[in-house]
Amino acid sequence: MPGYGEDPEWSDIVPLPQDDGGPNPLAAIAYSDEYSEAMSYLRAVMAKNEFSERVLRLTEDIIDMNPAHYTVWLYRAKALFTLHKDLRKEFDWLNPFALRHLKNYQIWHHRHTIIEALASDLDEKSPKIDNMIREEQDFLDRMFTKDAKNYHVWSYRQWLVERFNLWDCEEEREAVDDLLRKDVRNNSAWNHRYYVVFGRPNAPKNTTEGHVLMQREINYAEAAIRIAPQNQSPWNYIRGILSHFQQPLSNIKSLASEFASLEKPDEVKSSHALDLLAEIYKEERQLDCAGKAWDLLAQKYDPIRSRYWMWKKEQLGTAAA
Amino acid sequence: MSPSGVQALGPGALGESKLNKQKHINYWKRCLKTYLPTAYTSTDSNRMLLAFFVVSALDLLGALLEHTKPEEREGYIDWIYRCQHPEGGFRGFPGTDFGDERNAENKMWDPANVPATYMALSALLILGDDLSRVKRRECLQWLRKLQRDTGSFGETLGENDNIEGGTDSRFGYCAAVVRWILRGAAKGEVEGVPDIDVDKLAECVSSAQTYDGGISESPYHEAHGGFTYCAINILAFIRRLPPHITDIGPGADRGPPGLGDLDSAVRWLVSRQTEILTEEDEPDIDDEDARDEAGSEPPKEEVRDLRGFGIFPEDNQALTRLELLWAGFNGRPNKIADTCYCFWELGALCALHRQHLTDTEACRRYLLDKTQHMVGGFGKVPGDPPDIYHSYLGLAALALLKDPSMKPIVPSACFSQDAARFLESLPWRKEITAGGDSLPQGFQYDLPSKIDERPKEGASDSNYMAMSGG
Repeated sequence: MPGYGEDPEWSDIVPLPQDDGGPNPLAAIAYSDEYSEAMSYLRAVMAKNEFSERVLRLTEDIIDMNPAHYTVWLYRAKALFTLHKDLRKEFDWLNPFALRHLKNYQIWHHRHTIIEALASDLDEKSPKIDNMIREEQDFLDRMFTKDAKNYHVWSYRQWLVERFNLWDCEEEREAVDDLLRKDVRNNSAWNHRYYVVFGRPNAPKNTTEGHVLMQREINYAEAAIRIAPQNQSPWNYIRGILSHFQQPLSNIKSLASEFASLEKPDEVKSSHALDLLAEIYKEERQLDCAGKAWDLLAQKYDPIRSRYWMWKKEQLGTAAA
Repeated sequence: MSPSGVQALGPGALGESKLNKQKHINYWKRCLKTYLPTAYTSTDSNRMLLAFFVVSALDLLGALLEHTKPEEREGYIDWIYRCQHPEGGFRGFPGTDFGDERNAENKMWDPANVPATYMALSALLILGDDLSRVKRRECLQWLRKLQRDTGSFGETLGENDNIEGGTDSRFGYCAAVVRWILRGAAKGEVEGVPDIDVDKLAECVSSAQTYDGGISESPYHEAHGGFTYCAINILAFIRRLPPHITDIGPGADRGPPGLGDLDSAVRWLVSRQTEILTEEDEPDIDDEDARDEAGSEPPKEEVRDLRGFGIFPEDNQALTRLELLWAGFNGRPNKIADTCYCFWELGALCALHRQHLTDTEACRRYLLDKTQHMVGGFGKVPGDPPDIYHSYLGLAALALLKDPSMKPIVPSACFSQDAARFLESLPWRKEITAGGDSLPQGFQYDLPSKIDERPKEGASDSNYMAMSGG
């Protein structure tokens, strides 16, 4: 492909080279000739606010080399809107790009802009919205095959849930279940489940109905704990649930005791269960037992955090005094 | 007994973990004085960030003055000022500057950038510039326009001053440092510009604490080490940490504290320390069988090989103790350790005065033995080549751990205490703060006697003391 300088399509543009400001620039990068040239054409067309087909191609070129460029994405979006492009076609370019650049934030902001624009042209009840959402969910699932803990993708997924009211959407729950079946330690998936259940506009309250849901979620986490007791995610999930319903930790004493017991100090199967047990003892004012549990954590089951466990034990003394 | 059981191994079992200081200085000198490799093109828009890292790394190593001439430093300062935006703040890189062709219609493509402004001001201070050429009033006015009604900050202003960029705590953090540099802890108007909405900012941080105790991008998102560092240090700068975290240094302002659950935040942060250093270390459990049993019936056989997650068979204890000699930090539960999170998690704990609850020696050894690279710098994980981002945060983490070959650091600002002292010594700044204390909540400078006691590492100490004015 010829450079912009030799391309007759660009012959009317006078490129605007970068002024790097004096003899001692900081963090000067050995730019390739292609990048320097493309950027000098980008500055030239941006300065004129040109919105055209060639500008769209130029932004793709720049974004490919420097995807973190914070105004080229906004410029591209404005060009798409100004030219009344078919926005659904944007995904033909964006999707493969997203699959290649996993760590980029701007891609997801751009996607958000495009989806929002597409949705605003449709009736909320239109089946086209459902199709669009399904396609989004399918694409996110593809992204998760590359990295099931990708922060940007999960953030985007949460936006999608809220924007399109997917709180009771079967696909949403199923996607998370599927990821947890593949990796029960996927904390992002656990967090998403928590979001869908407890982050919704009418989050479950401290009612009989709410408590049915509380038990359902505790059971779900319990099943995961049985697969891998030393997995902190479901233990944290249960703590979160109890805190949401303002329930004492002692609600799950029998579960914690199954995986850690002071009577069998050599057979502890989960340091998280042992920590929980310590806090339950503290709740029950059995301070000696709490101290013993933290001793075990410090000496045997979680020695990296021995100073933390010993500090917790010291706090007990302060609390007792 | 040492928590990692070092003594159990006996003397001489391991070489002494040491910072190859000269190698690091060489690495950063290369970054300063020669072109960065073409691969950095993908971070071109964040050049001010790279610039800050390069200048600040040499400063933390006590090598900036020794290895740069005054005229070079003047040149670097001029370059930073060239990135100053005509309407306040700094650009992320020169690439958006239209020069003489800038006009009212195209200026939206050339905005000032919030993180770049924090980095530019910090780098100027480190280089010994008194910020006299900074458009202070414009910068403070601009900063206010970046705050949303929810309290969060954006990254840039777009068309019609629309706030662009994410809503996460990174931008709020950068805004809080800029505010601190330019206004200290002054109340009311400075340069005729009212303060940002501090209450809303605290509220925004508080609302992003998650069910597991960490802090996320926004409510109900997953807690993350980087966002937790930014959020907690926002609270340190705006003095909204719980007042009882420390009995030293300047106390909290009145107003709602921005950290609802301190205990669970500390728990989340110390839980980030891990001996899982590579993907191969991850527990190898075969979920296939367990998966089928995961329904209503509890599976019979529950524990597999979980040694990597802290459970070790009795007969294997010595080996495991050895593994525990190296423990880094991860950014989220069930992720592997990564150099940069040693800074983010410890930096958050430092603000809470709780860093001593971690195994600091194991972290130090992780950095020095596992991710320090033989050519200088740090990689992300063991065996990775160094890059500027991880190389800087590796050094900054060692400074948090008070490594004797590093200068003391301000944990909340991520640059040296010398640079902060220099800022506080500037006449215009003294005027704004009216002699009042302007340090982040709970922060105290290391005592000078401590610095004197540090092992002699060449003549660099006297250099930086001279630069900061004593």
